[in-house]
Amino acid sequence: MTRLTLGIETSCDETAAAVVADGVDVRSSVVSSQVDLHTGFGGVVPELASRAHVELIDEVINEALVEGGADFDTIDLVGACCGPGLAGALLVGVSAAKAIALAASIPYVGVNHLEAHLHATVLEHPSVEFPAVVLIASGGHTMLVEVRDRLDYNVLGETVDDAAGEAFDKVARFLGLGYPGGPAIDRISPRAIPRP
Amino acid sequence: MHVLAIDTATAQVGVAIGVGDHVAGEVRLVGGRRHAEHLVPVVERLCDDTGVRLDRLAAIGVGVGPGLFTGLRVGVATAKMLARVLRVPMVAVGSLDLVAHPLRHADRQIAAVLDARRSEVFYGRYRTVPGGVLRIGDPTVVPPEDVVGDLLSRGVETLLAGDGVSAHPEVFTDVDRAEWAGPTFDFPSPASLVALTAHRVEREDFAQPAEVVPVYLRAADARINWEQRSS
Ligand SMILES: [Zn+2]
Repeated sequence: MTRLTLGIETSCDETAAAVVADGVDVRSSVVSSQVDLHTGFGGVVPELASRAHVELIDEVINEALVEGGADFDTIDLVGACCGPGLAGALLVGVSAAKAIALAASIPYVGVNHLEAHLHATVLEHPSVEFPAVVLIASGGHTMLVEVRDRLDYNVLGETVDDAAGEAFDKVARFLGLGYPGGPAIDRISPRAIPRP
Repeated sequence: MHVLAIDTATAQVGVAIGVGDHVAGEVRLVGGRRHAEHLVPVVERLCDDTGVRLDRLAAIGVGVGPGLFTGLRVGVATAKMLARVLRVPMVAVGSLDLVAHPLRHADRQIAAVLDARRSEVFYGRYRTVPGGVLRIGDPTVVPPEDVVGDLLSRGVETLLAGDGVSAHPEVFTDVDRAEWAGPTFDFPSPASLVALTAHRVEREDFAQPAEVVPVYLRAADARINWEQRSS
Protein backbone atom coordinates (compact mmCIF):
# COMPACT_ATOMS: atom_id res chain seq x y z
CA MET A 1 0.00 0.00 0.00
CA THR A 2 1.20 3.49 -0.82
CA ARG A 3 2.25 5.58 2.10
CA LEU A 4 1.76 9.33 1.59
CA THR A 5 3.85 11.88 3.47
CA LEU A 6 3.16 15.60 3.62
CA GLY A 7 6.37 17.60 4.13
CA ILE A 8 6.47 21.23 5.28
CA GLU A 9 9.44 23.61 5.13
CA THR A 10 9.58 27.16 6.55
CA SER A 11 13.17 27.44 7.78
CA CYS A 12 14.09 30.57 5.84
CA ASP A 13 12.47 32.67 3.11
CA GLU A 14 10.51 30.01 1.26
CA THR A 15 7.14 28.60 2.31
CA ALA A 16 7.13 25.08 0.91
CA ALA A 17 5.16 21.84 1.06
CA ALA A 18 5.30 18.56 -0.81
CA VAL A 19 3.56 15.22 -1.03
CA VAL A 20 5.83 12.21 -1.39
CA ALA A 21 4.71 8.61 -1.85
CA ASP A 22 6.65 5.86 -0.08
CA GLY A 23 9.49 8.23 0.71
CA VAL A 24 10.76 8.30 -2.88
CA ASP A 25 8.06 9.37 -5.34
CA VAL A 26 7.52 13.15 -5.36
CA ARG A 27 3.86 13.72 -6.18
CA SER A 28 3.93 17.49 -5.70
CA SER A 29 6.31 20.19 -4.55
CA VAL A 30 4.99 23.72 -4.01
CA VAL A 31 7.46 26.48 -3.17
CA SER A 32 6.36 30.03 -2.53
CA SER A 33 9.44 32.21 -2.60
CA GLN A 34 9.61 35.53 -0.77
CA VAL A 35 12.62 36.88 -2.67
CA ASP A 36 10.68 40.02 -3.73
CA LEU A 37 9.89 40.72 -0.09
CA HIS A 38 13.52 40.75 1.00
CA THR A 39 15.04 42.42 -2.07
CA GLY A 40 16.11 45.88 -1.02
CA PHE A 41 17.16 44.73 2.43
CA GLY A 42 20.22 42.87 1.10
CA GLY A 43 19.27 39.64 2.84
CA VAL A 44 16.47 37.73 4.50
CA VAL A 45 14.69 39.71 7.21
CA PRO A 46 13.57 37.13 9.81
CA GLU A 47 10.47 39.02 10.97
CA LEU A 48 9.27 39.65 7.39
CA ALA A 49 9.88 35.98 6.55
CA SER A 50 7.86 34.80 9.55
CA ARG A 51 4.98 37.12 8.71
CA ALA A 52 4.85 35.84 5.15
CA HIS A 53 4.96 32.19 6.32
CA VAL A 54 1.92 32.52 8.54
CA GLU A 55 -0.05 34.15 5.72
CA LEU A 56 0.94 31.59 3.09
CA ILE A 57 1.23 28.36 5.04
CA ASP A 58 -2.30 27.00 4.69
CA GLU A 59 -2.60 27.89 0.99
CA VAL A 60 0.78 26.32 0.15
CA ILE A 61 -0.12 23.12 2.02
CA ASN A 62 -3.50 23.02 0.33
CA GLU A 63 -1.91 23.40 -3.10
CA ALA A 64 0.63 20.67 -2.40
CA LEU A 65 -2.19 18.31 -1.40
CA VAL A 66 -4.35 19.12 -4.43
CA GLU A 67 -1.44 18.86 -6.88
CA GLY A 68 -0.33 15.64 -5.24
CA GLY A 69 -3.80 14.12 -5.54
CA ALA A 70 -4.09 13.85 -1.77
CA ASP A 71 -6.07 15.36 1.06
CA PHE A 72 -5.91 15.38 4.84
CA ASP A 73 -7.81 12.09 4.97
CA THR A 74 -5.37 10.22 2.75
CA ILE A 75 -1.98 11.33 4.07
CA ASP A 76 -0.34 8.92 6.50
CA LEU A 77 2.39 11.09 7.95
CA VAL A 78 3.33 14.74 8.29
CA GLY A 79 6.89 16.01 8.59
CA ALA A 80 8.31 19.48 9.09
CA CYS A 81 11.75 20.96 8.98
CA CYS A 82 12.50 21.68 12.65
CA GLY A 83 15.92 23.31 12.35
CA PRO A 84 18.49 24.64 11.98
CA GLY A 85 16.97 27.82 10.53
CA LEU A 86 15.32 31.08 11.56
CA ALA A 87 13.62 30.25 14.86
CA GLY A 88 10.44 32.30 14.36
CA ALA A 89 10.06 31.08 10.79
CA LEU A 90 10.56 27.41 11.69
CA LEU A 91 7.86 27.60 14.35
CA VAL A 92 5.20 28.43 11.75
CA GLY A 93 5.81 25.22 9.80
CA VAL A 94 6.27 23.09 12.90
CA SER A 95 3.05 24.45 14.46
CA ALA A 96 1.13 23.81 11.25
CA ALA A 97 2.47 20.26 11.02
CA LYS A 98 1.66 19.44 14.64
CA ALA A 99 -1.87 20.79 14.21
CA ILE A 100 -2.38 18.63 11.12
CA ALA A 101 -1.02 15.58 12.96
CA LEU A 102 -3.44 16.13 15.83
CA ALA A 103 -6.52 16.85 13.72
CA ALA A 104 -5.87 14.10 11.17
CA SER A 105 -4.70 11.58 13.81
CA ILE A 106 -1.43 10.85 12.03
CA PRO A 107 2.16 10.91 13.32
CA TYR A 108 4.35 14.02 13.16
CA VAL A 109 8.07 13.79 12.46
CA GLY A 110 10.47 16.71 12.94
CA VAL A 111 13.22 16.58 10.35
CA ASN A 112 16.66 18.15 10.53
CA HIS A 113 17.08 20.77 7.81
CA LEU A 114 20.46 19.45 6.66
CA GLU A 115 19.31 15.86 6.62
CA ALA A 116 16.52 17.02 4.30
CA HIS A 117 19.09 18.61 1.99
CA LEU A 118 21.00 15.35 2.04
CA HIS A 119 17.98 13.28 1.29
CA ALA A 120 16.98 15.58 -1.58
CA THR A 121 19.92 14.16 -3.55
CA VAL A 122 18.44 10.69 -3.20
CA LEU A 123 15.05 11.90 -4.44
CA GLU A 124 16.64 13.65 -7.43
CA HIS A 125 19.07 10.86 -8.25
CA PRO A 126 17.61 7.51 -7.19
CA SER A 127 20.52 5.75 -8.90
CA VAL A 128 23.03 7.02 -6.31
CA GLU A 129 24.63 4.05 -4.59
CA PHE A 130 25.85 4.04 -1.01
CA PRO A 131 28.27 4.65 0.52
CA ALA A 132 28.52 8.12 -1.02
CA VAL A 133 29.97 11.49 -0.09
CA VAL A 134 27.60 14.45 -0.27
CA LEU A 135 28.54 18.13 -0.29
CA ILE A 136 25.91 20.38 1.28
CA ALA A 137 26.27 23.97 0.10
CA SER A 138 23.10 25.72 1.23
CA GLY A 139 22.45 29.30 2.29
CA GLY A 140 23.35 28.65 5.90
CA HIS A 141 25.59 25.58 5.84
CA THR A 142 28.55 24.13 4.01
CA MET A 143 29.51 20.58 4.95
CA LEU A 144 30.84 17.33 3.62
CA VAL A 145 28.96 14.22 4.73
CA GLU A 146 29.65 10.53 4.30
CA VAL A 147 26.36 8.75 3.66
CA ARG A 148 26.95 5.12 4.59
CA ASP A 149 23.40 4.14 3.88
CA ARG A 150 19.95 5.75 3.92
CA LEU A 151 19.59 7.64 7.24
CA ASP A 152 23.12 6.67 8.29
CA TYR A 153 25.51 9.62 8.18
CA ASN A 154 28.94 10.69 9.27
CA VAL A 155 29.91 14.37 9.05
CA LEU A 156 33.40 14.58 7.54
CA GLY A 157 33.82 18.32 7.87
CA GLU A 158 32.13 21.71 7.82
CA THR A 159 32.89 25.42 7.74
CA VAL A 160 33.66 26.99 11.09
CA ASP A 161 32.31 30.44 10.21
CA ASP A 162 30.20 31.62 7.24
CA ALA A 163 28.62 29.14 4.86
CA ALA A 164 29.40 29.43 1.17
CA GLY A 165 25.90 30.72 0.42
CA GLU A 166 26.20 33.40 3.07
CA ALA A 167 29.57 34.43 1.67
CA PHE A 168 27.95 34.89 -1.74
CA ASP A 169 25.19 37.08 -0.27
CA LYS A 170 27.63 39.16 1.75
CA VAL A 171 30.04 39.68 -1.14
CA ALA A 172 27.14 40.56 -3.44
CA ARG A 173 25.84 43.09 -0.92
CA PHE A 174 29.33 44.54 -0.52
CA LEU A 175 29.71 44.93 -4.29
CA GLY A 176 26.18 46.30 -4.64
CA LEU A 177 25.01 43.41 -6.85
CA GLY A 178 21.66 43.01 -5.12
CA TYR A 179 19.98 40.11 -3.39
CA PRO A 180 20.06 37.09 -3.64
CA GLY A 181 23.80 37.15 -4.17
CA GLY A 182 24.35 33.68 -5.68
CA PRO A 183 22.56 34.23 -9.02
CA ALA A 184 23.95 37.78 -9.28
CA ILE A 185 27.53 36.61 -8.92
CA ASP A 186 26.85 33.67 -11.20
CA ARG A 187 25.58 36.06 -13.88
CA ILE A 188 28.69 38.25 -13.90
CA SER A 189 31.23 35.52 -13.19
CA PRO A 190 31.84 34.58 -16.87
CA ARG A 191 33.21 38.09 -17.33
CA ALA A 192 35.76 37.60 -14.58
CA ILE A 193 39.39 38.08 -15.52
CA PRO A 194 41.52 35.21 -14.22
CA ARG A 195 44.73 36.16 -12.45
CA PRO A 196 47.78 33.99 -12.85
CA MET B 1 -22.14 22.87 19.24
CA HIS B 2 -18.66 22.95 20.72
CA VAL B 3 -16.03 25.48 19.78
CA LEU B 4 -12.30 25.42 20.47
CA ALA B 5 -10.57 28.65 21.52
CA ILE B 6 -6.83 29.34 21.22
CA ASP B 7 -4.94 32.47 22.27
CA THR B 8 -1.14 32.57 22.48
CA ALA B 9 -0.58 36.28 21.94
CA THR B 10 1.02 36.84 25.35
CA ALA B 11 3.23 34.91 27.76
CA GLN B 12 0.18 32.71 28.31
CA VAL B 13 -0.83 29.65 26.30
CA GLY B 14 -4.62 29.78 26.60
CA VAL B 15 -7.00 27.08 25.36
CA ALA B 16 -10.68 26.49 26.11
CA ILE B 17 -13.52 24.32 24.83
CA GLY B 18 -17.18 25.06 25.31
CA VAL B 19 -20.73 25.33 24.08
CA GLY B 20 -22.06 28.86 23.85
CA ASP B 21 -21.32 30.66 27.12
CA HIS B 22 -20.67 27.37 28.84
CA VAL B 23 -17.02 26.47 29.15
CA ALA B 24 -16.36 22.74 29.42
CA GLY B 25 -12.68 23.24 30.13
CA GLU B 26 -10.02 25.90 30.15
CA VAL B 27 -6.22 25.74 30.39
CA ARG B 28 -3.92 28.70 30.99
CA LEU B 29 -0.19 28.03 31.05
CA VAL B 30 1.92 31.03 31.92
CA GLY B 31 5.66 31.40 31.84
CA GLY B 32 8.36 30.44 29.46
CA ARG B 33 8.16 31.12 25.78
CA ARG B 34 7.47 27.57 24.72
CA HIS B 35 4.14 28.13 23.03
CA ALA B 36 4.96 25.79 20.14
CA GLU B 37 5.80 22.94 22.51
CA HIS B 38 2.79 23.36 24.78
CA LEU B 39 -0.08 24.32 22.52
CA VAL B 40 -0.91 21.10 20.67
CA PRO B 41 -0.48 18.81 23.72
CA VAL B 42 -2.73 21.17 25.72
CA VAL B 43 -5.44 21.03 23.03
CA GLU B 44 -5.20 17.25 22.91
CA ARG B 45 -5.35 16.91 26.69
CA LEU B 46 -8.28 19.29 26.99
CA CYS B 47 -10.22 17.35 24.36
CA ASP B 48 -9.55 14.12 26.24
CA ASP B 49 -10.50 15.58 29.62
CA THR B 50 -13.69 17.25 28.40
CA GLY B 51 -14.65 14.30 26.22
CA VAL B 52 -15.07 16.58 23.22
CA ARG B 53 -13.80 15.00 20.03
CA LEU B 54 -12.02 17.37 17.64
CA ASP B 55 -14.13 16.18 14.73
CA ARG B 56 -17.26 17.35 16.55
CA LEU B 57 -16.15 20.98 16.71
CA ALA B 58 -18.30 23.61 14.99
CA ALA B 59 -15.64 26.33 14.80
CA ILE B 60 -12.23 27.43 15.98
CA GLY B 61 -11.73 30.79 17.65
CA VAL B 62 -8.30 32.35 17.69
CA GLY B 63 -6.81 35.41 19.36
CA VAL B 64 -5.16 37.41 16.58
CA GLY B 65 -3.27 39.92 18.71
CA PRO B 66 -1.86 42.45 19.05
CA GLY B 67 0.72 40.60 21.11
CA LEU B 68 4.15 39.01 21.07
CA PHE B 69 4.87 38.12 17.46
CA THR B 70 6.21 34.58 17.71
CA GLY B 71 3.60 33.30 20.16
CA LEU B 72 0.89 34.92 18.09
CA ARG B 73 2.03 33.14 14.95
CA VAL B 74 2.18 29.76 16.70
CA GLY B 75 -1.47 30.18 17.71
CA VAL B 76 -2.68 31.46 14.34
CA ALA B 77 -0.79 28.79 12.33
CA THR B 78 -2.07 26.03 14.61
CA ALA B 79 -5.67 27.28 14.56
CA LYS B 80 -5.61 27.69 10.78
CA MET B 81 -4.45 24.15 10.15
CA LEU B 82 -6.87 22.65 12.69
CA ALA B 83 -9.67 24.50 10.89
CA ARG B 84 -8.44 23.32 7.49
CA VAL B 85 -8.20 19.66 8.48
CA LEU B 86 -11.48 19.66 10.42
CA ARG B 87 -13.18 21.74 7.71
CA VAL B 88 -14.70 24.20 10.16
CA PRO B 89 -14.83 28.01 10.00
CA MET B 90 -12.72 30.31 12.14
CA VAL B 91 -13.50 33.32 14.27
CA ALA B 92 -10.73 35.89 14.77
CA VAL B 93 -10.88 37.97 17.96
CA GLY B 94 -8.52 40.72 19.11
CA SER B 95 -6.46 39.79 22.16
CA LEU B 96 -7.20 43.10 23.91
CA ASP B 97 -10.92 42.31 23.52
CA LEU B 98 -10.22 39.10 25.43
CA VAL B 99 -8.63 41.06 28.27
CA ALA B 100 -11.61 43.43 28.50
CA HIS B 101 -14.44 40.92 28.03
CA PRO B 102 -14.14 39.20 31.45
CA LEU B 103 -14.71 42.65 33.01
CA ARG B 104 -17.95 43.27 31.10
CA HIS B 105 -19.94 43.63 34.34
CA ALA B 106 -17.77 46.51 35.54
CA ASP B 107 -19.50 49.82 36.24
CA ARG B 108 -16.95 51.93 34.37
CA GLN B 109 -14.77 52.01 31.27
CA ILE B 110 -12.02 49.42 30.83
CA ALA B 111 -8.47 50.04 29.63
CA ALA B 112 -6.92 46.83 28.29
CA VAL B 113 -3.13 47.09 28.29
CA LEU B 114 -0.83 44.28 27.10
CA ASP B 115 2.95 44.27 27.36
CA ALA B 116 4.51 44.98 23.95
CA ARG B 117 8.13 44.90 25.26
CA ARG B 118 10.62 47.66 24.32
CA SER B 119 8.96 50.03 26.82
CA GLU B 120 5.66 50.03 24.95
CA VAL B 121 2.20 48.56 25.48
CA PHE B 122 -0.75 47.60 23.30
CA TYR B 123 -3.71 49.67 24.42
CA GLY B 124 -7.44 49.52 23.80
CA ARG B 125 -10.28 51.34 25.58
CA TYR B 126 -13.67 49.70 26.10
CA ARG B 127 -17.06 50.57 27.47
CA THR B 128 -19.44 47.98 28.80
CA VAL B 129 -22.63 47.24 26.89
CA PRO B 130 -25.37 44.72 27.70
CA GLY B 131 -23.83 41.28 27.27
CA GLY B 132 -20.30 42.42 26.53
CA VAL B 133 -17.81 45.18 25.87
CA LEU B 134 -17.41 47.60 23.00
CA ARG B 135 -14.01 48.88 21.92
CA ILE B 136 -13.76 52.63 21.50
CA GLY B 137 -11.43 53.36 18.60
CA ASP B 138 -8.62 51.22 17.25
CA PRO B 139 -6.01 49.51 19.43
CA THR B 140 -2.63 51.25 19.45
CA VAL B 141 0.95 50.58 20.51
CA VAL B 142 2.26 53.38 22.73
CA PRO B 143 4.55 54.02 25.70
CA PRO B 144 2.70 53.25 28.98
CA GLU B 145 2.95 56.93 29.95
CA ASP B 146 0.75 57.79 26.96
CA VAL B 147 -1.97 55.45 28.25
CA VAL B 148 -1.93 57.27 31.57
CA GLY B 149 -1.95 60.62 29.77
CA ASP B 150 -4.93 59.54 27.68
CA LEU B 151 -6.86 58.34 30.74
CA LEU B 152 -6.10 61.51 32.74
CA SER B 153 -7.21 63.72 29.86
CA ARG B 154 -10.57 61.91 29.72
CA GLY B 155 -10.99 61.99 33.47
CA VAL B 156 -13.47 59.11 33.72
CA GLU B 157 -13.48 56.18 36.14
CA THR B 158 -11.40 53.38 34.63
CA LEU B 159 -10.59 49.77 35.36
CA LEU B 160 -7.08 48.85 34.20
CA ALA B 161 -6.36 45.27 33.09
CA GLY B 162 -3.62 43.32 31.34
CA ASP B 163 0.02 42.36 31.82
CA GLY B 164 1.07 45.72 30.39
CA VAL B 165 -0.09 47.23 33.67
CA SER B 166 1.84 44.79 35.86
CA ALA B 167 4.90 45.23 33.62
CA HIS B 168 4.97 48.97 34.39
CA PRO B 169 3.88 49.35 38.02
CA GLU B 170 5.81 52.62 38.41
CA VAL B 171 3.72 54.18 35.63
CA PHE B 172 0.31 52.82 36.55
CA THR B 173 0.34 53.17 40.35
CA ASP B 174 -1.81 55.99 41.75
CA VAL B 175 -3.36 57.09 38.48
CA ASP B 176 -6.25 59.41 39.32
CA ARG B 177 -9.69 57.72 38.98
CA ALA B 178 -8.10 54.47 37.71
CA GLU B 179 -8.03 51.14 39.51
CA TRP B 180 -6.09 47.97 38.63
CA ALA B 181 -8.23 44.85 38.12
CA GLY B 182 -5.43 42.64 39.45
CA PRO B 183 -3.30 39.76 38.16
CA THR B 184 -6.33 37.52 37.50
CA PHE B 185 -7.02 39.69 34.46
CA ASP B 186 -3.44 39.91 33.17
CA PHE B 187 -3.96 37.73 30.10
CA PRO B 188 -6.54 37.20 27.33
CA SER B 189 -9.35 34.97 28.58
CA PRO B 190 -9.77 31.67 26.67
CA ALA B 191 -13.27 31.33 28.19
CA SER B 192 -14.22 34.73 26.75
CA LEU B 193 -12.89 33.56 23.39
CA VAL B 194 -15.24 30.57 23.57
CA ALA B 195 -18.20 32.87 24.30
CA LEU B 196 -17.34 35.39 21.57
CA THR B 197 -16.63 32.65 19.03
CA ALA B 198 -19.93 30.91 19.78
CA HIS B 199 -21.88 34.18 19.39
CA ARG B 200 -20.28 34.98 16.07
CA VAL B 201 -20.84 31.47 14.77
CA GLU B 202 -24.53 31.88 15.61
CA ARG B 203 -24.61 35.03 13.49
CA GLU B 204 -22.56 33.23 10.82
CA ASP B 205 -19.97 35.95 11.23
CA PHE B 206 -16.89 33.83 10.65
CA ALA B 207 -13.76 33.74 8.51
CA GLN B 208 -12.01 31.21 6.31
CA PRO B 209 -8.48 30.16 7.36
CA ALA B 210 -6.80 32.07 4.50
CA GLU B 211 -8.40 35.31 5.71
CA VAL B 212 -7.08 35.09 9.25
CA VAL B 213 -3.91 37.13 9.77
CA PRO B 214 -2.21 38.31 12.95
CA VAL B 215 -2.56 41.93 14.04
CA TYR B 216 0.96 43.24 14.70
CA LEU B 217 0.48 47.03 15.02
CA ARG B 218 4.22 47.35 14.47
CA ALA B 219 6.22 47.19 11.26
CA ALA B 220 8.94 44.53 11.08
CA ASP B 221 12.26 45.79 12.46
CA ALA B 222 14.18 45.86 9.18
CA ARG B 223 11.38 47.81 7.57
CA ILE B 224 11.47 50.42 10.33
CA ASN B 225 15.27 50.76 10.06
CA TRP B 226 15.09 50.90 6.30
CA GLU B 227 12.48 53.64 6.26
CA GLN B 228 14.44 55.67 8.78
CA ARG B 229 17.61 55.28 6.74
CA SER B 230 15.98 56.25 3.45
CA SER B 231 14.13 59.24 4.85
ZN1 LIG C 1 18.31 24.87 3.29
